Amino acid sequence: MGRPYAVKGRKKKRKLEEAATSDAAPPAEEAEELPPPEEAGGEDKGEEGEGVAREEEEHAAVEGLPVVPRPVDGKRRPGAIFVLERACLEVGKVGKTMQILNSDDHANYLRKQNRNPADYRPDIIHQALLAIFDSPLTKAGRLQAVYVRTEKGVLFEIKPYVRMPRTFKRFCGLMSQLLQKLSITAVGKREKLLNVVKNPVTRYLPVGARKVGLSFSAEKSVNLFDYVAKSSDDEPLVFVVGAMAHGKIDKEYTDDYIQICNYPLSAACCLNRICSALEQKWNIQ
Amino acid sequence: MAKTKPMAAAAAGEKKKSKGKKKGKNGPAKVAMKARGAAAAAEERSNPFEAIWSRRKFDVLGKKRKGEEQRVSRSRSEAIRKRENTLLKEFEESAKSSVFHDRRIGERDDTLPEFDKAILRQQRERLAKLKRESKYNLPDDDDDEINVHSMLSEKDDFDEEVPFDDESDEEGKMVLSKKRLSLQGGDRPSETDLPQETHQGHKSKKEVMMEIISKSKFYKAQKAKEREEDEHLVDKLDSNFASLAQTQALLSLTESAKVKVNKSDSSAGLTGKEIFTKAKSDTYEKLVKEMVMDQRARPSDRTKTPEEIAKEEKERLEKLEEERQKRMLGTADSSDEDDDNEDDDHMKLDNSKPISGDDLGDSFTDDSIRKKKGWVDEIYEKEGRKLGDDAAASNDEESDDEHADDDESDDEEDDDDGEQDSSDNDFGNMSARDWEQSDNDEVDVGDNEMEDFHEKEQEISGKVMKKDAQNLKKESNVKTQVKDSGVPFVIDAPNNLKDLSSLLDGRSETEIIEIISRIRTCNSIRLAAENRRKMQVFYGVLLQYFAVLATQTPVKFKIINTLVKPLIEMSGETPYFAAICARERLIHTRTRLCEDIKVPGKNSWPNLKTLLLLRVWSLTFPCSDFRHVVATPMLLLMCEYLMRCPIQSGRDVAVGSFLCSMVLVATKESKKFCPEAIAFLQSLLVTSLKGKVGTHLHNQINDQFMELKTLKPWLSIREQVHEVNPVNILEIMGMDPDAPYFSSDDFKAGVLLSVAECLRGFVIIHEELSSFPEIFLPISSLLQEILDKSEVSGLLRDIFHEVIDLIKKRSDEHHASREPLQMRKKLPEPIKQLNPKFEENYIKGLDYDPDRDRAQRKKMNKRLKSEKKGAARELRKDNHFLYAVKEKERIKQEQEKAEQLGKNLAFLQEQESAFKSGQLGKGKGRKRRR
Repeated sequence: MGRPYAVKGRKKKRKLEEAATSDAAPPAEEAEELPPPEEAGGEDKGEEGEGVAREEEEHAAVEGLPVVPRPVDGKRRPGAIFVLERACLEVGKVGKTMQILNSDDHANYLRKQNRNPADYRPDIIHQALLAIFDSPLTKAGRLQAVYVRTEKGVLFEIKPYVRMPRTFKRFCGLMSQLLQKLSITAVGKREKLLNVVKNPVTRYLPVGARKVGLSFSAEKSVNLFDYVAKSSDDEPLVFVVGAMAHGKIDKEYTDDYIQICNYPLSAACCLNRICSALEQKWNIQ
Repeated sequence: MAKTKPMAAAAAGEKKKSKGKKKGKNGPAKVAMKARGAAAAAEERSNPFEAIWSRRKFDVLGKKRKGEEQRVSRSRSEAIRKRENTLLKEFEESAKSSVFHDRRIGERDDTLPEFDKAILRQQRERLAKLKRESKYNLPDDDDDEINVHSMLSEKDDFDEEVPFDDESDEEGKMVLSKKRLSLQGGDRPSETDLPQETHQGHKSKKEVMMEIISKSKFYKAQKAKEREEDEHLVDKLDSNFASLAQTQALLSLTESAKVKVNKSDSSAGLTGKEIFTKAKSDTYEKLVKEMVMDQRARPSDRTKTPEEIAKEEKERLEKLEEERQKRMLGTADSSDEDDDNEDDDHMKLDNSKPISGDDLGDSFTDDSIRKKKGWVDEIYEKEGRKLGDDAAASNDEESDDEHADDDESDDEEDDDDGEQDSSDNDFGNMSARDWEQSDNDEVDVGDNEMEDFHEKEQEISGKVMKKDAQNLKKESNVKTQVKDSGVPFVIDAPNNLKDLSSLLDGRSETEIIEIISRIRTCNSIRLAAENRRKMQVFYGVLLQYFAVLATQTPVKFKIINTLVKPLIEMSGETPYFAAICARERLIHTRTRLCEDIKVPGKNSWPNLKTLLLLRVWSLTFPCSDFRHVVATPMLLLMCEYLMRCPIQSGRDVAVGSFLCSMVLVATKESKKFCPEAIAFLQSLLVTSLKGKVGTHLHNQINDQFMELKTLKPWLSIREQVHEVNPVNILEIMGMDPDAPYFSSDDFKAGVLLSVAECLRGFVIIHEELSSFPEIFLPISSLLQEILDKSEVSGLLRDIFHEVIDLIKKRSDEHHASREPLQMRKKLPEPIKQLNPKFEENYIKGLDYDPDRDRAQRKKMNKRLKSEKKGAARELRKDNHFLYAVKEKERIKQEQEKAEQLGKNLAFLQEQESAFKSGQLGKGKGRKRRR
């Protein structure tokens, strides 16, 4: 069922051939640099490893190998993970088509179904995702992963190198397809960019990660820039942000529950602040 | 096994229904649905597992749930029941050789009750009987009658049966209704033709024809009747309307309508129709009449092409010239006689009275003639005045306009005449020589030997002059006449300078303009191809004349000024030739400059002629072009002058500053940077410092030609000058280089003023340059020093301050906007992003493969696979079921066997025990005994 366009084995074979033809040193290095992704240790290699990594990258670019940032780099350089809770992504059957329900287009429909149209705000998650994926942080390859959990409890993962649809309509199309088909591949590739995964989200977060929940209702009020600057690079940062119109996120699995502004912020604004704080910390311009 | 018990009970409840499952595909589902309503409660109670419904995991809003739910255990039990009814039966019958099939009518349909089945059978029986009868009995009238009767009677007997028929059996009903139709056909002949025809198939042809005729007659009569009725109706309507129109209500309505159309007819007696038509026709007719009166549009004249305009102009001039000639000669009138009566009269009058110049003003003529001759009079008046002038200027044969309208050089009027002579003679000579050679003369003129030269020239050309004069007289067939009488209308373009100078000399500016414009109209390029050549020659000659005019000592600036406009216009007409002329001239001037510079002590600065030519060209050719055949070399030449020529006198200073201003004008649009001009201005400023330039300033000023230019403090002002007058370059050019005026503070202040103005212009032009501070800051400090050290008057001081401020402001801005040099930094490479593949309107289950064929194939494969899977599953389940059945049977058999075995064993054991106990035989006996 799953492989209509190409045979899997061929590609693997080609890769192997390439590895065989290229000079002897790189494969060894690659093997060295591809530790299992869950492994949290080994970050103290630090700077001298980065140079090698860059060399590697260039080498890869020359060879025409996939330019997708490898988890190696993410391991070398500390990154951030975002979890967006309670996203208002719900598919409904409107007429004959399945659509992501939003309060603008489907207000009457929602009222007929005895729902509150104010609760259906997929634009929030769209803006939030754009804020994350457009930030220099992401462009610099420091984003590790984004997890979105919908109001209905569907959890999906978004790879950090996805180019999100810019328009809301297209975004809705993408989301409705994702929620129906449970995975979205890249154009011209087999790789899954968006993938519905099993709950809970904690099983995907790296070991030792510092999970920070952000909420206006939190009692601990911090200056985000200082807070981020103080955190050590050894533990990856996980930010849990709500993407809903009303209410707050649950703080069950978060290590810290902070308030970063004296005013209630929109999700996109909050994420922008986080991104800029991280950029400042890691000197990304 | 626990399940089957209640299931069997349920099956017993609907045993009849389950029979029909074999029939339809959706039979079981339907049955299940039906059963759900009635028997669900009881069933669910009986089997708690069947009460479990499987649900969808995610509730999708708006999705209908009906028909989606599955009851797994229930469907399983349904399937088992189905197998029991089908597979089990087959299995049971598989071993049997004879099978009983109930093929009676109605036995297939389970839903029919027993009574209905019986009815169906009976009907079928009767139908069969009927069929057989109709098959074998030939149609007989009597028989038919009898039949009908019998049928009717029979029908009567089965009266209650018919409705049953309708409901239950379609076939029987159809047949019966057909029968009835055919039977009743005879009774109602007027219903339709078709049954009639069929009934009376044996009509003769005649009868048929008769029938047709009667029918057509009937139709015709009917039509006529209808028409009559229609007419009656229309008449009635009309009469009704007429009566209605006479009533008050409608009248008022129509009245108002009439008022709207501006009709005031009192048509009370008219019918509505008439009123309407009248109103309509009246407005229409009115419009038609109006349109008849309208004028028709006429085509306008087409716009004329430039060629046509030029031609018309030329024709007009030619006509005027002709008339003038006629008037002048007074002979050609006879040819014109038939043309114009008035003209005729006027000519006759002319003829009768020979007119002299003095006479005309007083002559008595008719008003009409006077009017006609208005402009002629003017001309004659002019001529008369000129004649008087001629008388005054005794030996000057070419009429001189100096007195009439030249006011520029009034002071030296007496000398003028003499010099005019000489210069005129020059023209005569020069026209014979090459044009370019005239430069040599001008150099001489520039060398303070003007007087001597002129004397010499006079001597040399004394003889030539007379000869020329004679020549001129001889060759002037029309032109001399023209000169005598006034400006001719049709003038050939002069081919050389002599012709032109003879044509133009002594004319007033307005006349010169008129002459040139007439030459240009007569020889317009648009008129003929060869005119281009003529005009090119004429342009060259005119330029030559222009240059020559500049070399005359009391320069006639007004004439020069008047020449500028036609020159510019003509160079627009022949751009290529004009450019060639200018280039040649520039090249020549440059070579002369190179030669002059080699000779030490010789003045190499441009003379007035060159300056004027440069000015004309700078007006003619676009200086703002990035590269232009004339403008670029011209600018370069000016810069070269500024750079290479040493300053030897105060006049050179003035000329240099004039050149600087010319450069400024030339570069104003394009903002080209000319370092020569700025350096020259700088050196001029240095000369105003009496040679005491500060060391720091000296370091700043980096000009290798500085020594060449700052030999003497040309511009150092000694005393305070109160009034600063701008220097007039034209006056200065005429002055002696050693004149005392050049050492006066007045002159110096004037030059400084122009230098400052020029500087300001350059500052404004070059304020965009990124190297602005480096260029202008030294000048600014120089100006500051001048302000500090020498006595500069109020106006100059103000301007200096202004320039300094301007430079300071601009350079500050530039300094502020400058950025320090940066190391070249490598931009970080952003990660490569991938686009997700998705559809805008995704529908689940649809294949979005662009290859339709492949999608279709995939779909079919999928279906095939699922079908295969389903079939395999069914087979497997059948097998399981059969196996279970067989197993059950086997167990039963084994049980039976075991039972039998046990029985037998028990019997045997009993016997054995009996035998062992020795009672065998005895026992019988004993039993019997007992």
